[in-house]
Amino acid sequence: MRVKDFFIFFFSIGIFLVLWEAYYWIFISNPFVLAPPSKVIVTFIQLTLGDPKFADSGFQMLTDMAYSIYHYALGFASAILVGFSIGLIAGWSKTVEKLIYPIVELIRPIPPIAWIPIAILLLKLTHTAAAFIIFIGAVFPILLNTMYGVSSVEKKYVEAALTLGATKTSTMLRKVIIPASMPAFFNGLRVGSGVAWMCVVAAELFGVSQFGLGYKIQLARLYHSPDVVISYMLAIGIIGLILDRIYRLAEDRLLSWRRGFVVE
Amino acid sequence: MSEILLQIKNIRKWFNSQEKELMVIDGVSFDVREGEFISILGPSGCGKTTLLRIIAGLEKQDEGEILLRGKSITGPGQDRSMVFQDYALFPWRTVLGNVLFGLEIRKIPKVEALEKAKKFIKLVGLEGFENSYPHELSGGMRQRVAIARALVCEPEILLMDEPLSALDAQTRNVMQSELVRIWQETRKTIIYVTHNIEEAVYLADRIAVLSRRPAKLLDLVEVELERPRNRFSKEFIELRARIFNLIQG
Repeated sequence: MRVKDFFIFFFSIGIFLVLWEAYYWIFISNPFVLAPPSKVIVTFIQLTLGDPKFADSGFQMLTDMAYSIYHYALGFASAILVGFSIGLIAGWSKTVEKLIYPIVELIRPIPPIAWIPIAILLLKLTHTAAAFIIFIGAVFPILLNTMYGVSSVEKKYVEAALTLGATKTSTMLRKVIIPASMPAFFNGLRVGSGVAWMCVVAAELFGVSQFGLGYKIQLARLYHSPDVVISYMLAIGIIGLILDRIYRLAEDRLLSWRRGFVVE
Repeated sequence: MSEILLQIKNIRKWFNSQEKELMVIDGVSFDVREGEFISILGPSGCGKTTLLRIIAGLEKQDEGEILLRGKSITGPGQDRSMVFQDYALFPWRTVLGNVLFGLEIRKIPKVEALEKAKKFIKLVGLEGFENSYPHELSGGMRQRVAIARALVCEPEILLMDEPLSALDAQTRNVMQSELVRIWQETRKTIIYVTHNIEEAVYLADRIAVLSRRPAKLLDLVEVELERPRNRFSKEFIELRARIFNLIQG
């Protein structure tokens, strides 16, 4: 079964690459418009190794990756901090929930991209501005999932803890509410991370910062280098995939108690 | 005669407290003696669980009061632990973690807490399952964990709300004799809510028999049968019949 799955996986990718290669040579055949996969792979490796052909004009894959991850980390960490804290309080207190609900529901439908002009006016073209866009994208999934998780903690756990002596609110939050709502929080974390990573590209595309994968995609278009554009797209996909895997792995490890857990 | 530990004085409770609509408990009074196993017996939905929850401090009575060693109960406290019908084990904690919960809250030093938790896990017969998660255990085993978790806190009173009703008949019988053994070893005061007459007669020193809603105290029955009790003895069956007729009225 494993071997078969492996085979299907590479077969599927292989077909895709062949079709792409054929499409290029049959219909396009113009290196300023599109690049075939055979060319992209070479460019990708050259970019990653810092080949002077690209590095001299500022295209260095690893540096740009580092900047993008920096923007992501900054924005996502603040989103976790704010989203988790507010989600926890709002899930715990109905009054706070009612208080923040209108604000959240008003701001949430605004796409993070729509915040870019304000971010630039407010924070200029800085790393903080990029992080701000990422923050906007990630904070709501985290906040709402945490809030949902906290408010749906079963009453029986709270009552059990009360009769075992956990009569202080801080103890109840720390020992019951937070651990019980971790599955929902992690759900928000993964959704939020996905949105955050997409926002990295959006924020950088608009030149909020002079470095990063998203910015270089745009720059490479101006240089008419589709091979570079696609290489950077590929890098974005790979990092996004790795991030998702990291959260899944952390979730599996930290929430191992859920394994085989059936809701009674 | 041992000392009186808990006094339940003329408790009244309405389902809708503000409007005083739908009376659930109608003036129930009785005393609980230190070290005794007392059962609160009544038909389903009669308000016996509500009475236990009032004793636990999870709900408030509308009239009357409950005194523990002469002091009025106003909320949940470390002197009363409860075992729930659906176990209410923390699924994110192992068996050991669940038993440690109350000790962590009491800020018992780690080494001492661990030793104590292991002692009570052994008491309920779950040695070797310390690192299992609740979902990996059977219903009977989960209830053993819940009992250990409540007892390890060394409360004055152990409150039990139909703890065995979710188990199959055979496991229930085993757990009943286990419960008597644990009670005899720890000498805890136990208040045990059940709707099962046989269970009450098998377990309790005294049975507070409640009527249909609104719950009134019909009788406080002393069970003077030798332990271990024989469910098929003439006296046992006679007492069951007497209590059955009492409830049927």
